[in-house]
Amino acid sequence: MNIIRKRMNLHEILEIRNLTESTFIIQFEKNGLEFTAGQHVCVGPPNGIHTREYSIYSAVNDPYIEILVKEVQNGLITPVLKKLKVGDSVVVEEPVGYFGLNGGEKLNKKYLFIATGTGISPFHSMVKSHPTLDYKIVHGVRSHIEGYEKEEYDKLRYTLCSSRDTSGNYIGRLTNYLQELQIDTDSEVYLCGNCNMIHDAYDILENKGIPNERIHAEVYF
Amino acid sequence: MKYYLMTLGCQMNMSDSERVASVLDAAGCVKVETEEEANIIGILACSVRQKAIDKVYNKISVWNKWKNKKNLITFISGCMLPTDKDRFLKLFDIVFTMPELPQLPHMLGEYGITNPLSLIAEPQSAVDEIKLFWKVKPKYDSSFEAFVPIQNGCNKFCTFCAVPYTRGREISRPSNEILQEVRELAEKGYKTITLLGQNVNSYGLDKNGQEISFAQLLEKVGQMGEEIDNEFWVYFTSPHPRDMTTDIFHTIAKYDCLGKQIHFPLQSGDEKVLIKMNRNHSVSKYRETMHALREILPQATVFTDIIVGFTDETDEQFENTRKVMEEFKYNMAYIAMYSPRPGAASYRWEDTVSLDEKKKRFAILSDELAKHTLEFNQTMIGKTVKVLVREHDRKEGYLSGHTGGKLVIRFKSDNESLIGQIIPLKITAAAKFSLEGELVFSEQLAVNNDQLTVSSN
Ligand SMILES: Cc1cc2nc3c(=O)[nH]c(=O)nc-3n(C[C@H](O)[C@H](O)[C@H](O)COP(=O)(O)OP(=O)(O)OC[C@H]3O[C@@H](n4cnc5c(N)ncnc54)[C@H](O)[C@@H]3O)c2cc1C
Ligand code: SF4
Repeated sequence: MNIIRKRMNLHEILEIRNLTESTFIIQFEKNGLEFTAGQHVCVGPPNGIHTREYSIYSAVNDPYIEILVKEVQNGLITPVLKKLKVGDSVVVEEPVGYFGLNGGEKLNKKYLFIATGTGISPFHSMVKSHPTLDYKIVHGVRSHIEGYEKEEYDKLRYTLCSSRDTSGNYIGRLTNYLQELQIDTDSEVYLCGNCNMIHDAYDILENKGIPNERIHAEVYF
Repeated sequence: MKYYLMTLGCQMNMSDSERVASVLDAAGCVKVETEEEANIIGILACSVRQKAIDKVYNKISVWNKWKNKKNLITFISGCMLPTDKDRFLKLFDIVFTMPELPQLPHMLGEYGITNPLSLIAEPQSAVDEIKLFWKVKPKYDSSFEAFVPIQNGCNKFCTFCAVPYTRGREISRPSNEILQEVRELAEKGYKTITLLGQNVNSYGLDKNGQEISFAQLLEKVGQMGEEIDNEFWVYFTSPHPRDMTTDIFHTIAKYDCLGKQIHFPLQSGDEKVLIKMNRNHSVSKYRETMHALREILPQATVFTDIIVGFTDETDEQFENTRKVMEEFKYNMAYIAMYSPRPGAASYRWEDTVSLDEKKKRFAILSDELAKHTLEFNQTMIGKTVKVLVREHDRKEGYLSGHTGGKLVIRFKSDNESLIGQIIPLKITAAAKFSLEGELVFSEQLAVNNDQLTVSSN
């Protein structure tokens, strides 16, 4: 690899998958970056100095890195990322963060993953990286088209809660679903995405007797 | 060549500036006290606070005007966000990151300032750079208080903080270098040595078992204290609750030279605010550690950091912080009203709590703090404690210093030779944030004492 490109942390885009009008997956060169499932990277356009945090979507052993991005109207970075094409490059900083399974995947622990929107991304990486994981995913979206690549998860383990159409496995808000859900109190619970959902879900989990050391969260905004 | 250094921001920058000064001195330059006298002016910037960044822009526009009248070279280093760094490149002659400091003479050489150090070899990687930086011997500003960097950078990414973006990832300094620097300082008679880093207690974790842990580092420093005749106190800042393990407290309890003052940042006493801050620990985990701390080190004073008015902090969440303060009875709290810091994740979130509300919350916590500090300080009256005398007090005819637990104390004396000495004082009065004491022995005896058995909190 070209040393200057390495020093500037430039990674060539290998593939782009548009999942909805606003949400897309960017796949780029891995260039030796190692990570644990759940970590995020800071990614930005090639000629700028601004980056934003994105959870890694791909699995730890994939020969590339993928991120799942939703374009934010009037946002600074996402509209620029949206315009990039295969063959362009992105600036990628090294993977960081403590949102991860903490070795529990080897101990046959039960996992409950709760996400809104693109908050599903770290869970995709965890599930794909550890195929024997005993997990359940609850994914809160507005409409079923936001069930990003849901066929990748075991049907029996994935619940799509759609609040604005009737196409989800559960029709209504994710938090209503959680109120109704029986949760094993020995599960490790992971929350990711919008902070309001995380706070509401936190109260519900606490009321259900999940001790707070088993609740892990990653706030996007 | 005459140089002037302006240092903004935290203790880390102060420590860095001591290393910059020593590089410039070694390059044959002479430090001056005013910018007007200087031909080289440098700033150690702080991107963490907007005010500090505004100051940089104001200063450089003035200095660039001076260039019409005199030969002047300007440089900037310290904590810089990529966005600011880009702009500084157009405004300053030299912009470098702290790990690049050993290259400064070489960079000055490019402006025609020849100096013997400009022939240094170029490092091959970022890790080599920081290693060379740590080898630079600092020019300590004080003759009895020193700061020793043990680690640079941060991996924690608290959402309110820009440090991980300005200083990069955690890199631990080799322990043998740290121990050597501490030993030299202690043998020279330095009285306080503060181990510095953004996350001191994650020391060594970046080396995957190839380096000792923070508790082991403290253990070695403690053993050194037993071997060296001079009395000195070693502190550390800042730790993170996530990596605060009880072996650290056990080690501190074992050795007299390890300061009985623990800085233990809380930031918020509400679980949900901690989640939003991405602090990666819970209030209950913090409480557990605090109980261990009180049990193992009952004599230690505990200081903390708290932010009020973080984005969306509700009255109820704030009240949880107040309750935690009431519970833990800190000896000092650095309370900050939240302000979004450029570069941090929360900078992109709306700053929803009004300034008036932040001020109100700040006042409530300050009152809460004062209740406990006063109560604690009053229990000290009548005790004799060791005190490091630091300076003249604002009150005429008084000197001031701090106890081993870093409680501020003043006493009547104008004997300057006591400054920089550890002496016993009997505490005679207590206020919210300070103590008053009196000399226990004659001043001459005080200077020569080292066999006194007195409490050090
Ligand atoms: C640890 C972490 C991991 C993240 N991982 C992802 C990820 O995997 N995928 C992803 O799409 N985003 C992720 N984000 C959010 C991402 O970093 C950016 O904030 C987002 O892409 C908007 O960037 P922007 O420059 O376009 O908008 P900006 O100009 O920065 O901000 C515009 C506003 O939009 C808000 N905002 C951010 N994200 C959203 C959203 N999804 N919907 C509505 N409003 C939003 C911001 O808080 C801000 O107020 C993550 C954030 C963090 C802190
Ligand atoms: S506040 Fe958090 S992000 Fe900032 S330096 Fe401390 S631990 Fe690192």
